[in-house]
Amino acid sequence: MVDLGALRRRDALRVLAACMVDWWLPRRLQAQGPRRSTRPDRRVIVVTFGGGARYEDTLAPEGWINIPHLAREIVPQGLVYPVARYEGLTGHFNSTGALVTGCRQDVDAYGSEAPLTPTIFELFRKEYALPPEEAWVIATNKSFGLMGGSKLRAYGDPFSANVVLPKQLLIETIKAAVSTDGGPGVEDRQVLAARMMSALDEGYEGFGWKVFESGRGLGAELKSTLAKSLLDYFNDPTVPTSGDELTFFITKEIMNRLAPSLLVVNFWDIDIAHYGAYSLYLEAIKRTDRLVHELWQHVQALPQYRDRTTLLVVPELGRDSDVAGNGFANHRSGDDSCRRVWLVAVGAGVPRGTGTERPIRTADVAPTVAGILGFKMPECEGRPLAELVF
Amino acid sequence: MQFDAGLTGDAAALARGHAAVLTRLPATVHAFILVELHKWGTLFSAEQRYQRALLDHLTDLPQPELVRATAAIARIEAEAGCDRIARGNPARFQDEAQALLRKRRLLPAWRTAIDELFAMLDPALNARLYPPDAPRRLVVQLYAGDIAVQPDQLWGRFKGAGIRIPLDLAAAPSPDAFRRALFGAHADGAITLLDPSAGSENATPLDRWIIESHQALHDLSGEAGIRGGASPEARGTGGGVIGLSYERLRDYRDQLTRALYRKIETGVDSPQAFAAYARSLTIAPAADALLHADDIVRTFIREVLLTGNGTLFVNNTFVEWAAVQALRRAQPRILVTRYGVRDKLKPFSSLLLFSQPRASDQIPLIEDPVGSFIDVEQLSYYVWLNAEKSAAYRRKTLYLFLAEGIDQMLAVRPDVDRQPAEAPSAATLADVNATIAAWLGVPVRESVGRPIPTIIS
Repeated sequence: MVDLGALRRRDALRVLAACMVDWWLPRRLQAQGPRRSTRPDRRVIVVTFGGGARYEDTLAPEGWINIPHLAREIVPQGLVYPVARYEGLTGHFNSTGALVTGCRQDVDAYGSEAPLTPTIFELFRKEYALPPEEAWVIATNKSFGLMGGSKLRAYGDPFSANVVLPKQLLIETIKAAVSTDGGPGVEDRQVLAARMMSALDEGYEGFGWKVFESGRGLGAELKSTLAKSLLDYFNDPTVPTSGDELTFFITKEIMNRLAPSLLVVNFWDIDIAHYGAYSLYLEAIKRTDRLVHELWQHVQALPQYRDRTTLLVVPELGRDSDVAGNGFANHRSGDDSCRRVWLVAVGAGVPRGTGTERPIRTADVAPTVAGILGFKMPECEGRPLAELVF
Repeated sequence: MQFDAGLTGDAAALARGHAAVLTRLPATVHAFILVELHKWGTLFSAEQRYQRALLDHLTDLPQPELVRATAAIARIEAEAGCDRIARGNPARFQDEAQALLRKRRLLPAWRTAIDELFAMLDPALNARLYPPDAPRRLVVQLYAGDIAVQPDQLWGRFKGAGIRIPLDLAAAPSPDAFRRALFGAHADGAITLLDPSAGSENATPLDRWIIESHQALHDLSGEAGIRGGASPEARGTGGGVIGLSYERLRDYRDQLTRALYRKIETGVDSPQAFAAYARSLTIAPAADALLHADDIVRTFIREVLLTGNGTLFVNNTFVEWAAVQALRRAQPRILVTRYGVRDKLKPFSSLLLFSQPRASDQIPLIEDPVGSFIDVEQLSYYVWLNAEKSAAYRRKTLYLFLAEGIDQMLAVRPDVDRQPAEAPSAATLADVNATIAAWLGVPVRESVGRPIPTIIS
C-alpha cells in the first residue's frame, strides 16, 4: 500500500511510475512486426493548428500578432496557402478525418465511428508493408481514438496508425496509482484522483464525451515507457500547463525513440474558446504557434528528420464569425469563417519564402502526403499540392 | 397516427384553434410547434406572443402559398422516410426525425429548408409583433472598476459606430458612487432605472433585467427595495427586477456541477444522453439567490447554465450568454449587464499536489484583470450584435457602454447614423441618468442631470 500523502512529490512520482508499469503490463501485448528497409527516405509531419482557429485571429494581417513564430520564422522558410477551405461537417473529428483521408467524412462527431474511407496511415503502411511504429496520431482531443484507421474491411486495424492520447494516458496512470485499498492517506488520494480526473478529462465543447478505444492498442512496453516519460516530465519544474504541451512532449518522445515516417499531431487547446473567454482562446493560439515552432526546431535537431521532413501546418476548421455566425466560441454555424482556413508547408520539397493565393482544400493534405511519401492514394476529393516537390 | 402533445390550458386551446393548419404542416414543423407549446408554462410572454403570431399567420396564409413555402421540407421528409416514424409524443418524434435525417445525410438540406421557411415568415411576423411605435428599449453594459481597462482600446470592436462622450466623474470618485450616480440612486434609496413601478403602469419585473458577474447591482437594487419598504418576501416573489448574479448563484452552480460529475462517473453513452440527463435535473436555485424568483426565471437560469458552453465556469461568459438568451427570449425593455474580473484557469499541473494533497495546499484562485478586459470587449460586443439581430431591439434601442472609473462612454443609437458635427462636451453621470430617463420616458425626481442632446435629439 502506498501512502501518497506522506511522500514528497518527486518520491510520489516514482511510486506512480512503478504503479503504472504494473497497470500496463497485463494489458494486451502487441506484436511489433519487423521493420522493413523499404520505408521511404522522406518524413511527413502534419500538425493541426487545432481546435478551430479563425483566419482573422491567425493568418490574416490583424492576426499575425498571435502567431509570431509562424509569421516571422516558419512562413519565410516555406510556402503559405492563405486560402484553404474545409467543406464538411464543422466538428473536430470529421474535419480532421478529411485531412487524413482526403474525403469528406460524415461519421459520429464525438468519435464513436472510424473514418469511412482509407486513411493515409493505412495506405502508407499497407503499400510499404511497414510496422505500426511508422505511423502515429498524437492527439490532445480525446475523441480521436479511432482516427488512425478506417472502418473498411481491407484496411482498418492491421494497417492503422498508433494513436496516443497523452491526457488519457496520464489519466489511466493516475487511476492505477490511486487504485490501492484503504489506509492512511487514502482519502487524500481519492480527492487527488477526483481533481486529476476532472482537470484532465474535460472536453471544451461540453460534458459527456467518451473515450473510444483505439482500434490498435499500443504495445504495453511502449505505452509504459511513454507514460513513465510523461510523469517524469511532470516532475520537471517547468511543468506543462496544457494538454497540447503534453501532446508536444509525447510527440518528441516518439520522434526520439522511433523516428516514424508519418505523424499527425493534433493540437486542440484552441477549442477552449467554447468557454467564451476570448483571451484564453488567443493564449491558446499563441501557445500552439510556439509549440509548432518548437516542433520544427526539434525536427532540425534530429538527424533522422533534418533535411528530409516536410511539415504541414493547417487548422482543421475555423470558428464562427462575429456577424454571420455565432462568434468565436462556436464552430457549428457552417458560415464562411468556420470553413476558411490556411496551410503552411515547410521543409523538404517545399519552395522557400513563397505563397500562392490559389485556393486549396484541407482535403488536399492527404494526397499531398501520399505524394511526398510515395504511396498510392485512391480516388478522393483532394488533389496533391502541385507547388511541392514530390 | 396523430401527435399526442399532452397540452393543457392556453396551449391546448391555441393548438385546438389552429388544428387545421397544424395538420397541413410538414411533420417536423408540426412537431416543433407542439414541443414549443408544451413548454408554455415556462415560456416568456414574448415567446408566447410569437407562437400565437406564428400560428395566426400560418392560418392566414392561402393554402397554395403554405404548400409552396413548406414544399422543400415535405420533400426532404419524404426522402428520409419520416412518415414511417410513429407520431405520438412530438418530442420523441423530433429526436427520431433528427436522427433519421442525419443518418440519411439530409440534415443540412433540411436545416436549409427550415431556414428558408422562417426567412419567408419572419418579416410578416416581425411586423405583427414589433410595430414601429413599440416602446423604446435600453441596453446598458458596464465594466467593473477592477477590470484592467485599456482606455485607448475601449470598445474597439465597434470601429467608429456610436458616439464617444467624455464623462465628468468629479462627483463619482469610487465605483460605488459611479453606479449610484449612473442608476440614479436617491437619498431614500429609490433607483429610478431599476424600479419597475416607475414608467409604464404595465411594467413588470420581466421588463427589467440585471445580469452580472458579481453582485454590486444586486446589492444596489436590493438596498433600494428595502429602503422603499418592500418586504424580502415581496422582493423575492414579485417585486423588483429580474436579477441574475453568477456570484449569488455559486451554491446552485456547485450543486449542478456535482450532479453532472456524478453522472459522468457512472457513465454516459453520448453527449445527447448527457444533455437529456441535464434537462431532467430538478435542482433549483435558492430564492435568496434571485431578486425575483418564479418558475420561468428558475427554468431560464438552469438552461443558461446547462446549455451555454462555459457558463458554469466563467463568470463573464455567464453574463454574455444569459444576456443574449434574455434578449432573444424574454425581450426585456431594459437590460443592464455588468462584467467583472474572472479567475485565471489553473494550470492542470497545479492539481498535482502529490506531496501534500490536502485542501489547505490547493493553489489559490488568481484573478485575471488583463485577460478579463480582452474577454469583456468581445462579449459586450456580442450582446450588442445579438440585440441588433432581433426585430424587438433593432432601431428602437439605445445602447450605453460604460466602465467604472473611466471618463468616457460609448452611446450607440443604430436609428441615428449621423455623427455629431462637434465633439460632445463632457457629461456627468447624472446627465447620463437623465438621458436614460428621457429616452425611456420614465419620470425622474430630484434629477440633477440633464439629458445629453447628442444622444436624445
